[in-house]
Amino acid sequence: MQRDLSDRIYSGVVGAIAAASVLLLLAPTLVVLIISLTSGMTLKFPPPSWSARWYVELFRSPELLTPALTSLQVALWTTLFSAVLGSAAALALARNRSRIARLLDALFMSPMVLPAMAFSLSLLLVFNVIGIRLSFATLVLGHTIVCVPFVIRMVGAAVQQLDPVLVTCSLSLGASRWYTFRRITLPLIRRGIVAGGLVAFLSSFDNVPVSLFLADARTEVLPIKLWAILEGSLDVRVAAVSGVIVVLTLIGLVCAETLGGLSRSFGKSSS
Amino acid sequence: MLSSATTRVAETRTEARGCALMLQGVGHSFGATVALESIDLAVARGELIALLGPSGCGKTTLLQIIAGFLQPSRGAVSFDGVRIDRTPANRRRIGMVFQNYALFPHLTVAENVAYGLRARKSPGAMVKQRVAEMLARVQMTSFGDRFPRQLSGGQQQRVALARALAIDPVLVLLDEPFSALDKNLRLDMQIEIKSLLKSCGVTSIMVTHDQEEALSMADRIVVLNKGRIEQIDTPDALYDAPASLFVNGFIGHANFLKGRTSAQPGTIALDAGCALALSGTEPPPAHRDVMVSIRPENLALVSDAQPRSIAVTIRVVMPLGAFSVIDCVTASGEAIKVSQSRAAWSGRPGDAAWLVIQDISKVHVFEATTASPSIARA
Repeated sequence: MQRDLSDRIYSGVVGAIAAASVLLLLAPTLVVLIISLTSGMTLKFPPPSWSARWYVELFRSPELLTPALTSLQVALWTTLFSAVLGSAAALALARNRSRIARLLDALFMSPMVLPAMAFSLSLLLVFNVIGIRLSFATLVLGHTIVCVPFVIRMVGAAVQQLDPVLVTCSLSLGASRWYTFRRITLPLIRRGIVAGGLVAFLSSFDNVPVSLFLADARTEVLPIKLWAILEGSLDVRVAAVSGVIVVLTLIGLVCAETLGGLSRSFGKSSS
Repeated sequence: MLSSATTRVAETRTEARGCALMLQGVGHSFGATVALESIDLAVARGELIALLGPSGCGKTTLLQIIAGFLQPSRGAVSFDGVRIDRTPANRRRIGMVFQNYALFPHLTVAENVAYGLRARKSPGAMVKQRVAEMLARVQMTSFGDRFPRQLSGGQQQRVALARALAIDPVLVLLDEPFSALDKNLRLDMQIEIKSLLKSCGVTSIMVTHDQEEALSMADRIVVLNKGRIEQIDTPDALYDAPASLFVNGFIGHANFLKGRTSAQPGTIALDAGCALALSGTEPPPAHRDVMVSIRPENLALVSDAQPRSIAVTIRVVMPLGAFSVIDCVTASGEAIKVSQSRAAWSGRPGDAAWLVIQDISKVHVFEATTASPSIARA
């Protein structure tokens, strides 16, 4: 009896904490989606009545569409570079226990630990010293440096799970190093690359600190533009942008799951 | 020495494929640690060789050197008289079956078998035909579209072997091929793989720490210990005429009894209290401490004293079906096991009994003190 009661209290407490966490995580997303569908002129919750007018409004606002397109471009380039560089680093370092490898790993991971503000300011100063003018390229470079760690970690985890005997076996069957990489290593770490790439994309897309320091005057990215709009007025279009981003992110997650996951990469389970 | 083995090899030579492998003074060191001393080994075409030894004996190192994953520190490896120790692994055309099969998890059974052929850019039609042929050979035809995960251990092993054979290898290497299988399945797979390798006629080398596996599979066994070859011989010869105390203890079960040679040539006084008269051609010198090896099946347990019998007390009786193993202890405190059919008298724990040696010519004597015991056939 005693034990039953204490068990029930335990389950109740754990359940309550879990429910609170889920609510806290979901609430902002739900609230912003609801507000974005208001017919009113302000960010008022709950909305007086429903309408999709702000979503239509978005497509008539070049001052939002242009930064959105820029952000998309920056994020795509960043994803490409991060995926290539991060995967290469992970392949070289994940199974290497030497001191140099550990040191390099810590170095590559440092942008994740350092405050982004401090890091961005430092990079800006470096560009200044060596005389590189800010541009789209410097922005992508900054984003890549802070996004690479995500790829290194996720691909690293995939490399850890890759049995090195498979590579040895491929060589013993007469395959070259390149063929082995293409047919064995790459397919088996694809999940890690896709997952890392997705996180890199998302974190680049809503990155503020790096963009704040490293974008030139002509390059305006979406998060900074949104911030600028909110400073001036509580524009409902900001909520609509958030709504679009939430939906696109969900689509992205589904795509990543189909691309890197299930399909054929590990075969259907025997059950 | 190997007359029976060489004639058998000679008989199969006409149909045998693959290469003759020659190792000359092959040695390897990891830093200051010597893993392999100086290995000399000649393998004939179509022969099935087992590298046998306890863990750390250097057998895996030797396999890696032959496969080309490791460069030997010393010595030469050659196939059909051509040195290959500098040839990279992917140019050696060696079919390797790995310990846990190392099937590619993201490829189907058919794609796994085709892998080596595709890597060599063989034409598609030829690949298809060869894969079908190989799958038929290992009786896995209906499994071509499955993934390795969906197969049992024995099926995975068949696929691994088909994949290794598909590249038409000059040599097949098998690394602890049965260690991942259930005990029940093991014997079936041993029979199957042995007959498959023999029907292909390909030269094969397997590594194992399991003496039963080596005895049942190999034409000849290379017994390795601490990086050195203890003996190379046929399974029967290793069992009947072990060259050293180590081989005697490692191959099959053996009882070792302490003794001392007496002044009279060919006689040994056992500590257990019995005098043996050996009839060997090469009796050990007088007044030396020796180890006498007697196989459990070379002893018979009787209920009363007989001339030249060893007095013992029965400790444990283990009925193992067709025969029983009886663990006894001698007056000198040495443990000794007897294996005999249940029909013969087996006594009960605590009973006094006597052991009679059945065939004195199968008793081996090793000098106890020397580092490398010289064999003296009794």
